[in-house]
Amino acid sequence: MCLPRSRRWSRRAEMRRAAPVAVALVILSGAALALDDGGYDWPLPEWMPRPPVPEDNPMSAAKVALGRHLFYDSRLSGDGTVACASCHDPARAFTDGRQTAVGIHGTPGNLNAPSLANVAYLPVNAWANPHMTSLEFQALVPLFGEAPDEMGATGQEDRIFATLAADPYYAVAFARAFPDRPAPDLFTVTRALGAFQRSLMSYDSPYDRFKYGGDLGALSEAAKRGEQLFFDHRFECYHCHQGVLFTDNFQREGSPWVETGFHNTGLYAEYPANAPGRIEITGEPGDAGLFRTPSLRNVAVTAPYMHDGSIPNLRAVLAHYARGGREGHANQDGMIVGFDATEAEIDDIITFLESLTDESFLTNPDHADPWPADHPARINRADP
Amino acid sequence: MKKLAYCAVLAAQPAFADQPVTLNFAAEIGGQPFACDATYAGMGATGAEVRAVDFRLYVSGVEMIAADGSRAPVTLDESDWQHEGVALLDFEDGTAACANGTAPVNTALSGTVAAGEYTGVAFNVGVPFAMNHGDPTVAPSPLNLTSMFWNWRGGYKFVRIDMVPTDRSADGPKGWFLHLGSTMCASEGKTDAPAKPCKSPNLMEIAFDRFDPATQTFVIDPAAVVAEADLRVNAPETSPGCMSFPGDADCMTVMARLGLDYGDVPAAEQALVTAR
Repeated sequence: MCLPRSRRWSRRAEMRRAAPVAVALVILSGAALALDDGGYDWPLPEWMPRPPVPEDNPMSAAKVALGRHLFYDSRLSGDGTVACASCHDPARAFTDGRQTAVGIHGTPGNLNAPSLANVAYLPVNAWANPHMTSLEFQALVPLFGEAPDEMGATGQEDRIFATLAADPYYAVAFARAFPDRPAPDLFTVTRALGAFQRSLMSYDSPYDRFKYGGDLGALSEAAKRGEQLFFDHRFECYHCHQGVLFTDNFQREGSPWVETGFHNTGLYAEYPANAPGRIEITGEPGDAGLFRTPSLRNVAVTAPYMHDGSIPNLRAVLAHYARGGREGHANQDGMIVGFDATEAEIDDIITFLESLTDESFLTNPDHADPWPADHPARINRADP
Repeated sequence: MKKLAYCAVLAAQPAFADQPVTLNFAAEIGGQPFACDATYAGMGATGAEVRAVDFRLYVSGVEMIAADGSRAPVTLDESDWQHEGVALLDFEDGTAACANGTAPVNTALSGTVAAGEYTGVAFNVGVPFAMNHGDPTVAPSPLNLTSMFWNWRGGYKFVRIDMVPTDRSADGPKGWFLHLGSTMCASEGKTDAPAKPCKSPNLMEIAFDRFDPATQTFVIDPAAVVAEADLRVNAPETSPGCMSFPGDADCMTVMARLGLDYGDVPAAEQALVTAR
C-alpha cells in the first residue's frame, strides 16, 4: 500500500507507555517527563493521542529547553526587540490579544496571532498556506518574512547567530541539544523552536475533566446545556470544530491520515488583498477567503477572533454565524446556514466555550519565560 | 494414530482452505465518474448542477453468498483502510473541490473467505453498533478520521457525499450534503455513547445474489437517491441537505431510496449501490 506513513515517534515511547506508575506521577506533577538519557515524553492522558514528530527533529528535553529560551529571546529579531513571545503570550494561550499581530518597528500584520496550544497535532501551521506543513519551516516566516516584517531578521542571521553563540547559556545548550551540530544556525534554531512548540499541550480544561476525567461536577449546568447545543445540528458548530481539538485539522502519531480543513465563513463579499485566504498561495478562485479552522481549546482567552481579528468577542462570533455569515461570499462554506437562537441559548454556548479554557496550560511553569528580567534576551523585548 | 491421519486428510483438503476475495467499487454521480474537479448536471428534482466535494463511506459485514443462499463471512485484511471487519471506501483525493479531504484513495476491499463456490456478495454500508460509539480520538484507522465523526460519540458518518450546487439561487443553500448515520441513539448527552442500539441504526443492508468479483464492480451513485430532492433548497432550521436527522423535509424522499424507513415513510429498494 502506497500510503504516506505518518511520521512515527520512537519505539522507546511505546516502552515508556508500559510504565504507568511513572506516567501517573508525571501527570500529578504537571511536568513533562524528562528522561535521564535526554529523551522527552508528553505527560498526556490516555484519551489524548500522541502527536507525530518529524524524523529530522526527534523530541528531547534539552531541545525543548533550548527552544523555550529561543522562543522568549528578542535577540532573534533584526533590532533585538521582537521575540516569538512578542505575539504569543502563554497567559492568552500563546496569542497576543490584538486584532492583528504587530511586528518590528510597529509594523502592522495582516493576520491574528494564532494560539500555539497543541500545534504538534496540526498538519498545517498557518491561517491560509496549505504548504506550511512543519513548525520548523513555519518558523522562517516570522523570522525572515518581509510582507509584512515580523521579526525583521532578513540578511542578519550571521550577526544574530554570533550573538546567540556568545551567550553563556546557549554555549552549553546548543551542544546539549545538538551534539553533532552544536552551534546556532538555521537548522538548530528552527528545530529547537519546533520542539518547544510541540511541548505546548493543553488537555486539562473543565470540559476535559468532565468528559474524560469522570468529574461530573466540573461543568456548570449552563455549560452542559451549551455542550448539547454546540453538538446540535441546528448550530452545526461541530462539523468544522470537531474531534479532540475542536478543529478539522488533525494529525496523530501512527495514523496515515493528514486532515486539513479550510473554510470560507462569509466574513467578506470580497476578501481584502492583504489577507485573501488560501488563494494567495494556490491561485485557485475556489480558494478565495478560505482559512484554516482554528482549535477552540482556550478560545475564551484568545479574543479577538477570526483570521483577521475582526470580531471582538465570542458573542459577536456567534451572531456572525447566526446570520449565516457577515457579508456572504460565493465560496462560503455550505455548513454556515444561519440559525435562530435565544439569548439564553447563546449564553449557554458561550459558557460551554469558556469551559474549554485550561488554566493549568495558561500558567504552566514549563512554558514560561526562562530569562531573568534584566537579561539581554529579554530587556528590550516588546511584549503584547 | 487414527486421529492424526484424520487431521492430515483435513489439512490436505483444499475445501477447508481460505480463498482471497477482492471487491472493487467505483464512485459515480449521475453515471459519470466521480472526480473532485468535475461538475454534474441534471441532479435532483430541479436538475441542479453540482460539484462533489467529498465521497466516502464505511462498509462492514462483508459476506459471500452461495448458490443455495447460505452466506460465508469475509475476513477483511487488517490495514489502514480496514479494521476488524470495517472498511473505509474513499474516492476523494484531497484535490480541487475536495481540498478538505485526504490524499489517499481506496476503491477496493480485500480479505479471505472459506474456499467454496459463491454466486453473490452481501455487505452493510455503515459501522456496526459495537464499533460505532467508541472514542474516535483513540480509535485505530480507518475509524479515526475527524471528517467522518458524527457528533462525537454518536458514531460515524456511514456515508459522506457532499454536493455543492454551482447554479444555486441567491438565497439557496451553499451545499447539499448527504450524511448517513445512526440517529435517535438514546444517551445522556450528544457526546455520550448510547448503551442500547439506536432507534434508527440506518445501517444499509446490501445483497446481490448474482455478483462476480472477478468481472464486476459495485457502483456507488447518489443520483437516484436524491432524484426527488431539490438540491437548490434547504428546509429552514435543518442541516444543509439530508443528514438523516428525524423531521428534515430534505430527507423525505431520500432515506427510502437508501433502503431505510424514515418517520412514516417506509423503506424502498436501495438505489445507492448497483452492480456492473
